[in-house]
Amino acid sequence: MVILMGNIQEENKNIEHSMKEVAYNLLKNKEVDLIIGYAKGTIPLSSSPSFIINQKDVDNLIWDNLCHVNLARYVVPPITKIIDNENIPLKVGIVSKGCVGRSLIHLAKENQVNLENIKIIGISCNGIINRKRIEKELGEKEIIELSVMNSEIIAKGVDFVKTFFFDDYLNESCKKCKIKAPPMVSSQSNVIVGGSVESSSGEDDFSDLTEHESKTPEEKWQTIVELLSPCTRCYACREACPMCYCNLCFVDQNKPIWFGKTTDMSDIVSFHLVRAMHVAGRCVACGSCSSACPMGIDLTFITRKLEKIVKQRFDFTSGLSFDILPPMMTQKMNDKEDFMIGEH
Amino acid sequence: MTDKILKKEEIEKFYLDLSRYFNFFAPTKENGNIVFKKITDPCEIIFDFLNSKVPPKEIVFPRMETLFTYKINGKEIEIEPVNNLNEKYLIFGIRPCDAYSFNLLENFFASGKFQDDIFIEKRKNTILIGMGCNTPRQTCFCTSLDHGGHPHRMDDVDIFLTDLGDKYLMRSISKMGKAIIDKLAWLSDAQRKDVAKAVELSKKAEELIKTKVDLENIAETLKPHFDHPLWKEISENCLGCGTCAFLCPTCTCFDVIDENDHYNNRGKRIRLWDTCQFCIYTTHASGHNPRKSKIERCRNRILHKFSYYPKNYGMLGCVGCGRCIQSCPVNNDLRVIIHKIKNLEKEKIEVKIIAT
Amino acid sequence: MQLSAYIPCLTTIKSIISENEANDIKTFELVFRKEEDQENFDYNPGQFAEISVIGKGECPIGIASSPTEKGSIKFTIKKMGTVTTAMHMAEVGDAIGVRGPLGNGWPIEELKGKNIIVIGGGFAFSTLRSLVEFIIHDDNRADYKEIIVIYGNRNCSEILYQEDLMRWKKREDVDVALTIDCAEKGWDGRVGFVAPIVESVDPSPKNSIAIMCGPPIMIKTTEAVLEKLHFQPGQILESLENRMKCGIGKCGRCNIGDKFVCVDGPVFSKAELNKMPREY
Repeated sequence: MVILMGNIQEENKNIEHSMKEVAYNLLKNKEVDLIIGYAKGTIPLSSSPSFIINQKDVDNLIWDNLCHVNLARYVVPPITKIIDNENIPLKVGIVSKGCVGRSLIHLAKENQVNLENIKIIGISCNGIINRKRIEKELGEKEIIELSVMNSEIIAKGVDFVKTFFFDDYLNESCKKCKIKAPPMVSSQSNVIVGGSVESSSGEDDFSDLTEHESKTPEEKWQTIVELLSPCTRCYACREACPMCYCNLCFVDQNKPIWFGKTTDMSDIVSFHLVRAMHVAGRCVACGSCSSACPMGIDLTFITRKLEKIVKQRFDFTSGLSFDILPPMMTQKMNDKEDFMIGEH
Repeated sequence: MTDKILKKEEIEKFYLDLSRYFNFFAPTKENGNIVFKKITDPCEIIFDFLNSKVPPKEIVFPRMETLFTYKINGKEIEIEPVNNLNEKYLIFGIRPCDAYSFNLLENFFASGKFQDDIFIEKRKNTILIGMGCNTPRQTCFCTSLDHGGHPHRMDDVDIFLTDLGDKYLMRSISKMGKAIIDKLAWLSDAQRKDVAKAVELSKKAEELIKTKVDLENIAETLKPHFDHPLWKEISENCLGCGTCAFLCPTCTCFDVIDENDHYNNRGKRIRLWDTCQFCIYTTHASGHNPRKSKIERCRNRILHKFSYYPKNYGMLGCVGCGRCIQSCPVNNDLRVIIHKIKNLEKEKIEVKIIAT
Repeated sequence: MQLSAYIPCLTTIKSIISENEANDIKTFELVFRKEEDQENFDYNPGQFAEISVIGKGECPIGIASSPTEKGSIKFTIKKMGTVTTAMHMAEVGDAIGVRGPLGNGWPIEELKGKNIIVIGGGFAFSTLRSLVEFIIHDDNRADYKEIIVIYGNRNCSEILYQEDLMRWKKREDVDVALTIDCAEKGWDGRVGFVAPIVESVDPSPKNSIAIMCGPPIMIKTTEAVLEKLHFQPGQILESLENRMKCGIGKCGRCNIGDKFVCVDGPVFSKAELNKMPREY
């Protein structure tokens, strides 16, 4: 649930303002060499990840409900290094909404990033707009301007104005998100800006899955097939995902060939399900995969279920703590094994 | 030659007459996206659309295509060529930019010592019924292209339609187009005012394209800048996701694999769309990669379209459809990139960050 | 007209020779199943073909035989990726697909009347073997002047085509200099890397063309030596490899700038390479 703390636009402006201030000071005090944040996009419904090295460019940073890319992507393979012209590694400050911060913490756990070299500029996110859904619903009407006002998203075209209720048109993963700002981790002095909101401590709410779970296996399969049928196998979901940092993805391995690369439905489904399994217990529900998908497939529909399974079986939520080992990196005698054949 | 009128209520008739001879492809809606699909019912056709998500090139150059099939029987192998090349295709409602891309594709696949006979054969059997854009997108820039790109460009199609509201003005462009129109004897003749309205719409559409991209001599401009820091700058926030290539009407790169049906001892060699944005695309079996970081890969994409293409085929490898701009998840806007290239001499690019 | 540029012609493996102690390099002799395919396969030394293990895939391999050796074609293949590994598992009598000949090959016309210095290293000697066999054939030998072959390997068990090399050595019209990286018992050839051996052989650049194939480090060091010996960039020819799929300039991946290795190459002169970006 998104709790509206007054005007969202106002809130964003405040976050943006304090974020700029923090970024400016970090650069000024040479605490970081580089800030990775978001800049305004050239078209409506977009934002552009931006690398800022000069204090004067800090003003280009923005924060709004369209900052959808998970910036943790820029510090894990295949991006192996961020260096200057003299080949010296740069200390990076990353503008982090809750899920970006969680990604970084989780990636540090997996030894993919060194948090010593990364400053998490935490901000409290109020949800990312589901741009694919809005685009699809408007159909063949082109949006020229998109803004958020009070609790509404306003899309303007040449000959139309349409409003959407903010809470309904967030990414599905954002709707149930309880971790708005990056969690504080002991080993790291995070910089939280913009009215940090404590993560609500209530039970995780997976009620969105109830409908799907009530279906028969055949119906579930049908839903998944329908969901994935537009897939062109461009792998944008994989490339946008900070957890997909394998040197050679299982689908690209050819000695032996594990998975078909065709656009036959069976190959499409197996790719997405296996990828989802690979990010189980690691996915931070940032929704980057869905927002990168050119065909507008909401892939978080699959990862969401895995999130629930991991929570129930291992009582684990990824990227929350630096002290707990993720379930896929450890083994405990009391791990639930009821997925194994023979146990019911 | 007289222009004809196709009333919108006559589409069903039009479809029934032509679908007897052709696989009738038209814009339709699938999972919220506009796609060109073979339709079986004229009700499926979407008439008011900006453009399809995936370009209609996928009809003649599908994302997965069989090159040949084979049967393995011990040491005996039997190879069967594909046998569906005689199929006739009709693409209804193709936009002028996409129709022009068919020229580029044809030119590419037919050029050089070896012809891609599968593509050429398919293209030869394809009829294009183009439709002018009355409301181009903000990201469209076809008028910036030197081939005379225009939202109502008619040169690349067989029949050209202008949407006049409740009817289409129909003009035959090619011989084949004329033959088709002649067959449809029931079509009424266009009035002078219809033609005048079409001219007016065409002019209006041109004015609606606000995006101007300076592509003059871009190949020449790019020539000395292979090692320019610009490439580091434009690749900085690229995710290497390849969306730009997968949605590009002129991208043609593909992968070739053997797809086996082990139960029946047969299989097929297929080609699948591929993109220069993927690391594995150029990686040798030894592990060596000539384009090892996204800096080289982004550069290759831009140079391919705006330098290699003009050099090898005498035309730019871009049609100005704007799909890459709309769909890039990090908003790495091609128009901005071109602007940067054109201003290389004026504005010094100082790159301080290298992300590889 | 061939039905599709992507359909390979079927051949049968006639013989398989293991070329080294490690047994990861084999030479396959292939015979076309249809006579007309054999006739259509009209190639030059330095060209390559796409070899198909049907069901596994296709990969580009330089032709090791010479067009003067009629009746069959030969490919020397190192076990590397999917297709080459499948090839190594093949037996005599198996069906193998061949699509080609592809690429430009060594410029045998332009080489006429010239001294030719063939410089090879490791297993990248196959198209050089093709060239030497072609030149020393009775029909062609008079067209070319002096021939020097310099061929280096890590050790003597890695030397390819040992019988052919012996045969060439016995001829008076070919100078063969074999070298291995470190001295070995019973080795009577030279010892050292290819570049210094080229320097000690000291070929004259006058009316000469140097033709090179080998690992990148050998190419780099030998280029420097040749430059020192006053070879002009136009007098140095190299054969490149890039990842390829189609071999006919359509699949896109082997480009170096605006050139495709598969159709514009694989043979380029150093002068051409100097103008091309280093994307290989």
